[in-house]
Formats: sequence, C-alpha cells, structure tokens
Amino acid sequence: MSLMQLGLVRGLIGQAIGTIIGLALVTLLRAVFGADPAWVPEPAWVGGAIIGGIGFMYGVGALDDWIKWVRGIPTPLHHGPPPGKPAWMRYFSVDYNHKIIGIQYGVTGLVMLMIGGSFALIFRTELVQPGLQFLAPDQYLTVMSLHGWTALMSILLAIGGLANYLVPLMVGAEDMAFPRLNAFAYWINVPAITLLLTSLFFGWDGGWTVYPPLSTVGSMGFQFVFYGIFMLGLSSIVGSINIIVTMIRMRPPGMSLFRMPIFCWAVLATSFLQMTATQFIGMAFLMLSWQRLLGMGFFDPAKGGTPVLFQHLFWFYSHPAVYIFVLPGLGIISEILPVFSRKPLFGYRWVALSSVAIALVGFIVWGHHMFVSGYAEYLRVPFMVSTLLVAVPTGVKFFSWLGTMWGGRLTFPTPMLFVLGAISVFLIGGLSGPILGTVASDMFLTDTYFVVGHFHSTIFGGYTFPFIAAIYFWYPKITGRMYNETMGKVHFWIMTPAFWMMALGQMSIGVMGMRRRISDYDPALHVEFGHTLITIAGFAIAFSILLMVYNLLHSLDVGKLAGNNPWGSRSPEWQIPSPVPEHSYATPIRIVGEPYDYGLANSTYVQMGTGSPASFGGSHAVAHAGDD
Amino acid sequence: MPKSASDKRHFIIAAALIAVSTVALYFLLERGMPLPPGASTEAGIIDNLIHWHLAVIAFLFSLVVVFMLYALVVFRKREGDDSEGEHFEGNTVLEIVWTVVPLIFVVVFAFYGINTLAEVTKAGPNEFEVEAIGQQWSWTFQYPNGVVAAELYIPINQRIHVSMQSKDVLHSFWIPEMRVKQDLVPGQNTEIRFTTTKVGDYKVRCAELCGRSHYSMETPVHVLEQADYDQWMSEQAAAQNVAVAQSAGATE
Repeated sequence: MSLMQLGLVRGLIGQAIGTIIGLALVTLLRAVFGADPAWVPEPAWVGGAIIGGIGFMYGVGALDDWIKWVRGIPTPLHHGPPPGKPAWMRYFSVDYNHKIIGIQYGVTGLVMLMIGGSFALIFRTELVQPGLQFLAPDQYLTVMSLHGWTALMSILLAIGGLANYLVPLMVGAEDMAFPRLNAFAYWINVPAITLLLTSLFFGWDGGWTVYPPLSTVGSMGFQFVFYGIFMLGLSSIVGSINIIVTMIRMRPPGMSLFRMPIFCWAVLATSFLQMTATQFIGMAFLMLSWQRLLGMGFFDPAKGGTPVLFQHLFWFYSHPAVYIFVLPGLGIISEILPVFSRKPLFGYRWVALSSVAIALVGFIVWGHHMFVSGYAEYLRVPFMVSTLLVAVPTGVKFFSWLGTMWGGRLTFPTPMLFVLGAISVFLIGGLSGPILGTVASDMFLTDTYFVVGHFHSTIFGGYTFPFIAAIYFWYPKITGRMYNETMGKVHFWIMTPAFWMMALGQMSIGVMGMRRRISDYDPALHVEFGHTLITIAGFAIAFSILLMVYNLLHSLDVGKLAGNNPWGSRSPEWQIPSPVPEHSYATPIRIVGEPYDYGLANSTYVQMGTGSPASFGGSHAVAHAGDD
Repeated sequence: MPKSASDKRHFIIAAALIAVSTVALYFLLERGMPLPPGASTEAGIIDNLIHWHLAVIAFLFSLVVVFMLYALVVFRKREGDDSEGEHFEGNTVLEIVWTVVPLIFVVVFAFYGINTLAEVTKAGPNEFEVEAIGQQWSWTFQYPNGVVAAELYIPINQRIHVSMQSKDVLHSFWIPEMRVKQDLVPGQNTEIRFTTTKVGDYKVRCAELCGRSHYSMETPVHVLEQADYDQWMSEQAAAQNVAVAQSAGATE
C-alpha cells in the first residue's frame, strides 16, 4: 500500500507544490512588471501560502465532487470505507460521514492541544528563574504567541468535533445537511495548521492579538499567521452554517427546539456567533497583511489610519470568540450532569435561553479589552456595564447546575468528575471577570498575569475540562469499549488541583506586578516562587493529558465492551449500538417526551423507528439539495 | 441526615457553611493576592474597589461550591439504592430570583465602578505636567521648561498629569504602586493622572507588548519631597541650560 493513497499525504504534497507555484508566480509577475528586485521573500511567500492552501484542498480531494458537478458528472454519496481499503484509512482521507469527520476534528483538536501545551511548557521553563536562560527574547515571544494560536485552534477544532459527531446523532439525522461542505470545513484546517506552525521558522513577536504597529513592522512570520487564521475562520463560517441548517431542518418529528438535547442549544448559539463574527477577524488580518505588502495605511497614523481601529475589529470577533469557545463546553456540562444526577436538567428553558443571552450580550462587550487602549473615554462606561451584565445569564447556568444536582442520586465516574472540575474551574474564571470588567481595577490589572489566570480558568473551565469530560463520556459510544476508570480518575485528581494551582498562581503574581508576555522579570517583584509553582503545575497537567491519551489508545483493544447505553442516558445516540453503525439510525426516530425526565415513571423521550430507512424525509431532502 | 431535597435543614446547614467559608476565603484571598504597597491617592480608591470585589468573589465562590459539595455528599447514590433522583424540572420563582439578584449586584457594581472611574481620571487644577515619550525600548520624560530626563522625577503630594506619545509601536505606562495604566498610541496623544502620596523609588514598566525587548522596558521613577525635587530640577536645568523660572511655575 502506498502512502499516496492517503488523502492527507496527497494534500500535503499539493500544498508543497502550490506553495512553490505561488512563490514562482509572484516572482514572475514582479519580473514581468519590472519590479526590482523580482525576488522579495514576503510577497512571494504570501502567494505561496494562498496557492498552497488551494493546492492542499485539491490534493486531498475535498474539491473533487464539486469539480465533477461543474463538469456535469454525477457524484452519488458513498458510504462505508473506501472499496478495497482498510477502514482506518478513512480517517486520513476525505470522507463525508459526519462521525468520521467528527473524529477527524476531535483528534486534530487533541493533537493541537498537546502542541499548544508543549509550547507553553517550553516558555514556562524559561520563566522558572529571572534572567534569560535558554530562549532569546524573540524566540520566547514566538513560542508564546504560537502557544496562543495553536491552543485557540485546538478549541475550534475540538468544538467542531463535538458538534459534528454529536449534533446529527442527537437530532436523529442521517448525516449533516451538507456532507461535502462538512469535509471541506474540516480539511481547510490542515493547511491552516501547516501555515501556523511554519511561522515558527520565520518568527513573530506580536502575541496572539497581533496588534499593529508591531505586527506590521515585525518579521515575516506574521503573514503565515494571518493566512493560517483566515483559513481557520473559513472553516468556522462554513462549518457553522452546516450545523445550523442541520439543526433547524433535520430534526425528527416531535423534537421541537425546546425538546432538543441541551448541548444542541449551546451549539446553536455558538454557531450563530461563528457565522456572524468570524468575518471580522478574517478582514482584520487581511488588512494587516495588505498594510505590510501593499503599504495600505489602514492602521498607520502616517497615512491617516489608526492602530486602535484594529483592536476594535479584532475584539469584535475575539470577544464573541470566547463565548464560541465556552458555550459548547457549558452545554456539555448541562448535558452530562442530569445523567449522573438521575434528575431532570433544572430549568431547561432558562439554561437554553441563557446560552442565547450570553451570545447576544457577547456582541456588545468587546470594548472591555480596550479600557486603556486610548479610545474615546466615554466608551469606557457603556462597555463596563454591558460586561458586568454577562454575569446574569452565566449565573443562571451555575444555579441551574446546582438545582440539577440537588436531590439527585449522584455517581462519580470520570466524565462526572471532569464536569464537576469544569464547574469549579469555570467558576474561578467567571468570578475573576468582574474585577477586570470595572474600569478602575482593570487599569491596574490589565496586561498582567491576572488576565492570564482569568483567561485560562475561563477556557479550561469552559473548554478543556468539558472536552475531556465529553471524551470520556462518549468514548464508549464511539469505540464500543470502556476506558480504564482508575486511570481516568487519576487523570482527574492530577489535573484539577494542578490547574487550580496554575490559575490562582497566575492571578497572584499578576496582582504582585508580573506583566504579560515578558521573557524575563524583575527579581524585586518576588514572583519567582509563584512562577516555579505554575511551571510545575503546567508539567503535571501535561503528564495527566498524556495519561489520558494512553488510556484512550490502550482501551481501544482491552477495554471491556460498553453495550448500547452504559450511562443510562435518555439521549437518542445512546439508544443505538456502540460503536455507532455506518447509518446511525436504521429507521427514523420519533420524539415523544421531554429529554431529561429522569426519575419520572413511564416517561419516554425517544421512540425508535419502525418504518423503512427511506423515510428519513428531512435529511434526504436536504442532502439531495446539496447533491444537485 | 435529611433526605428530601426541599427539607429546610439542608438550607440552614448550607447557609452556615457558606458564611464560614466566605469569611475564611476572603482572608485567604487578601493574603494570596498581595497588592504592592500603594503610593498614590488612586491606589487607595482602586484598592478599595478590589477589596470589595474580593469579598463578593469569596461569597459567590462559597455559595456555589458549598451547595455543590453539599449535594455531592448528601445526595450521592448510596450502596444498593437504584432509585432515580427526585423528579422536579425547575422552579420559576427561583429562576427569577437568581436572575434579579445578580442584576442588582451588577447595578451596584456598575454604579460603584462608574464613581471610582470618575475619581481616578478626573482632571484637577494646578496639575504637575510632564510628558512621556515611549519608544522601543526606553522612556524619555520631558518637563514643560524643556528639561529632558531618562528617569522620571516627580514631587510628592501633587496630581501628576502625564501626556504621552509613542514614537513607534504601542506601549503602556504603568507604575504598579500608582495602580493606573494607559497605553501609548503612535499618532495620538494619551494621558494619565495620579496623585503621589509616598516618597520613594518605583519603576514605570511598559505593559503593552512592544517587541523583542519589551521585558526590559522599565525605568526608575523617583517621587521626591518638593524641596528635593526643586533642587534636582534646578541642577538639571542648569546642566541642560534652560530657565529654572519656568519650572517653578510648572510645579506650582
């Protein structure tokens, strides 16, 4: 068997060839138009980055069917492993099954999490002592900045994984509404990752926020970040449209919006944010690129621009992005808690609508990142008030979780532990928010490690912990086998205290005066001990993640068989065999009750179908619309 | 141990635990988040705000965590008990309460926040004027009489008004002991105000990533008694050959 049979390998070769074509094309054009010198690295590499991305998508085969449509060739949807090839190869090639794509997303997200974490360990080690040890300041900044974007990429991939795998199963659909678009949305992430990681070799020192003028005068690595993130954004936009259509159009009879599993509500809110906000960061990054390449003065005061404009555009996406990152995780918490409490989700409608409320308020708070940016002073107060308002719908979630646990019959397998860990960590993140939201205290704390601690608790509580809970929870459904429970619990008991130590340590040294994004610090601040603890905690977290990866891989072979529904969940995906068959539901399902009526005698949520497979009315209608 | 979820005894015990936990946590937070000693009027105002925040954090953290831990212990599934939890789907009164009460907190903190903001940023009469110029990776300070210095010298008990420009990229002016912070933006004047209350040596630390040597963009700040300041200024003025008379006017 040759490697060329793997779409991934063909894609990477396509990207390499595309990059060379781009480099040559730009240089040739410059030569033809008499630009001197013809070879200038930066424009050439930008050309390479763009055409390389297209080359990847062509090479991997994500465009094949669409090209056939243009040429009038029919493209029937193929199900199951490619003919004559082993099943594992599906995961490395274009496949239209949402479960395969979900795994592709999720595993890539996990890999990026580990890469992003490794970057953190590198510069954390540098910070154990004051003084410069083994990283030069610009290397430090490159690794620190890359930690930011690789970790954020990991989040978008992981929530893509959760949404792709779970949403069609939860709404009883055969697949996503637009399977080809779905594959496209996943695969465009791979050239994005390639570009982002390539930036390591060129260096960039702007932090993940890439504020100009630093990002418009710094080294060339910035360009790879701009186009990498642009492709990532494209994935977010088309992916979210697909998810919204699936959820709106393909639900089974009886599943009103308020009878969807609660995770779907979270994904719906997140998808609307992704669909409407992502354009802003795409545009902002293109503007940076063009200011560098073409001298357009968007953010250049000498040409009538202003650097502060970029911050508005950036945060107009990047604040809602934080809610994009955490809403699915909060949905996972709400989804898993009732199962292990054996009780209905407390205040289903309030929890569902609080996601929508957070998403809406999320659009009008971006200016709280800019209290000291030099924008007009009158803007500070409205952004302060809108920011504090986020506490209200977030509070509803916390209290509803407490109400769900109260009076239940609680059990504590690993997914439940991680859900509880997530609540405690997200609580730290949430409560450290208002102190940054009031302008006067923010004037002290902004751009210190307090912000770093706040952000990491928000993201670990809203993404990392719930994602891990979800992995353990749905692992039996995905693989048909149980993970090792003891190892899972050890993972939890290492990671949770380590994370608290890390986040509280970051907040503490921030209050003591430790600034963000510095490779060396003043010994007079007495933060060395704090840094040492944070670094130790970081390594402990990394170790615990490796333990999880070992557990997941090892259990694929030796885990005991899970059966259809090891957790006793009422959700549709647990009523079918594990692992989920190629066609998830043999026949369409009906919804005849409420999703979380645990403890209510004789209540049913899902009625398994008795009709013929052909009666997947909604899904077929939409999928075929996509075919034509 | 009471079993029913709505038994009043649960809530009495939980309330007592929350009270104890709030007090304990507040003291832990005050010790675990040690603010640098304040050296300005604004530091006092901002520290008060921070103390209030920490108190509310201690309370809310206790509220959620005590109820959570209490539920984990009291409502855990017992050996051999295969029953489901009590079936209740929600409580509209409770939902309204925990929407409205946080809303009141928000309004109070917004009001408090607006007042502190107004206090720490208000312009006053007879401010001590100085200009700060940031560039990769150093600070320059310019006094109204034309004296230029690489370190910032300012007198005590004065409301200091720093107007700032950047020569290249974004920077941020931050003296932790004075608490307040403001970015410097190329092509734009920005300003910051603080009132010195303690003689001493501090550092202005650049707080906005400004490139490779951002970490080292720290410069000493000296808050002096008025007489010492005047003496420093006249020495500087003499050395730099500018008129001292203007400086007396500026420091009035």
